[in-house]
Amino acid sequence: MLQISNANGGYKRVTIIRDCSLRVSKGEIVALLGRNGAGKSTLMKYTMGLVDTFGGSVSIDGNTLPQSTSKRVKMGLGYVPQGRYVFPRLSVPENIAVAALACGHNRHESIDDAFEDFPILAEKKEALAGTLSGGQQQILSIARALATKPQVLLLDEPTEGVQPSIIEEIGEKLKRLNEERGLSILIAEQNLDFCLSIAKRAYILNNGSISHETTRDELIENKTILHELLGV
Amino acid sequence: MELDFLATLLLSSLSSAAILLIATVGLAVMFGLMGVINLAHGEFIMFGAYATLFATQIGVPYPLAIVFATIVTAIFGGIVELLIIRRLYGRIFDTLLATWGLSLVLYQSAVLIFGTVTPGIGLPISNVQIGDYSISVYLLFLILVAAVLIGSLYWLLTKTSYGITARAAIQDRETASAVGVESARINTMTFALGSGLAGFAGAILLPAIPATPNMGFAFVIKAFLAVVAAGPVTLTGTVAVGSTLGMVGNITASFWTSVVGDIVFFLLTITILRIFPLGISGRWRLKL
Repeated sequence: MLQISNANGGYKRVTIIRDCSLRVSKGEIVALLGRNGAGKSTLMKYTMGLVDTFGGSVSIDGNTLPQSTSKRVKMGLGYVPQGRYVFPRLSVPENIAVAALACGHNRHESIDDAFEDFPILAEKKEALAGTLSGGQQQILSIARALATKPQVLLLDEPTEGVQPSIIEEIGEKLKRLNEERGLSILIAEQNLDFCLSIAKRAYILNNGSISHETTRDELIENKTILHELLGV
Repeated sequence: MELDFLATLLLSSLSSAAILLIATVGLAVMFGLMGVINLAHGEFIMFGAYATLFATQIGVPYPLAIVFATIVTAIFGGIVELLIIRRLYGRIFDTLLATWGLSLVLYQSAVLIFGTVTPGIGLPISNVQIGDYSISVYLLFLILVAAVLIGSLYWLLTKTSYGITARAAIQDRETASAVGVESARINTMTFALGSGLAGFAGAILLPAIPATPNMGFAFVIKAFLAVVAAGPVTLTGTVAVGSTLGMVGNITASFWTSVVGDIVFFLLTITILRIFPLGISGRWRLKL
């Protein structure tokens, strides 16, 4: 499914991630863990073609993706950025419509689907996205990414600044999308509990390189990895 | 004061607000929606005026000539975006310089090609009588044109696929690309739209403002002030500021002189920007 090979990337001439390789299989939920500043967001952006690429490649089902971010989205990568980045002066349905239209899907159907998946958004259908709470914006950002009908969904710190009740709701929803539709998911997170509740496998990013590949069970048993690498 | 005088004053003020708005919406689209300060906006208006003049001179009826001018100016704007503006997004000063250069080139080309005096277009101007006063039907018609123009633009940008996508691309280019939007194409279309609107302004205002190489100067400063004072909610803000400024300027001008009208216009703009540094719509919760 999603394969990142020897990723080297960063900003201008500053390399932030070095030789990162990872893979997310069909229907798998994988976590990308690491301390603040380890390079999680940069690796996510690298995957989307949003930072400068110095080497390496990203492929889906063996097809190497072009550099253009919008083309990557059309080839099956969905992206929920850290900080949500909803379009503040677009209404809730318009936020979803943008994603659907860009990928050639019917906007009204996509909006209906999103409201069905996330009833909380239907209650806010008149509101401008900028007026929603942090948690609601996060849900909108996820719904918007799903409107591109991705094969792999990348989520960058989806629990940051979100109230616990909504974190739980997001976790449940992602699990269900994964089980019912076979959606593959890669989550970059600092919230370990959230990750352990939905991901079965994890990569640990340290100083811009992937230092470990591990499983949920191992993480739960072996507290030293957690302590050394994540500082928890 | 007589009722007929007040009615005439109101209508003539509305029509001068309408003229300002017609000349400004193209700029509102470019500056407000794309963050591009197009100093050649006035010359795009001139471009539309000459295109209309050219079309009518070869025998095209005036209404069709307006359509022709709008389309030709839009295409011209699209080419300008592809060749120049595209390289300069996010570089405000470079954009200023480039579009100023473009403005000079267009102005001088017009002088070379058409000279500084050009014939107007012979449109029968009829008046309506209001009590002791009269006002031209054409000026009243412009009020309707402005209303329809703004209504259609609002519809285009809030209801159509292009409009929703364009607003998203403008609010956050990177995120728009991360949901699949090809921002480059959308930007070309938006710049062409703004240019087309300028061309339309030159065309529809031709009976009132004859085509001359420097006709753009008359509009561009006021148009800029209106757009800047309008702030982030581009269209509604521009309509609010533009019509207020246009009307107040006209009312003062009709009591004193047009110079006083202009002074009041500028003072009012300065006051608005002192009170609302982000423009009056800085805190408005509206789409556009």
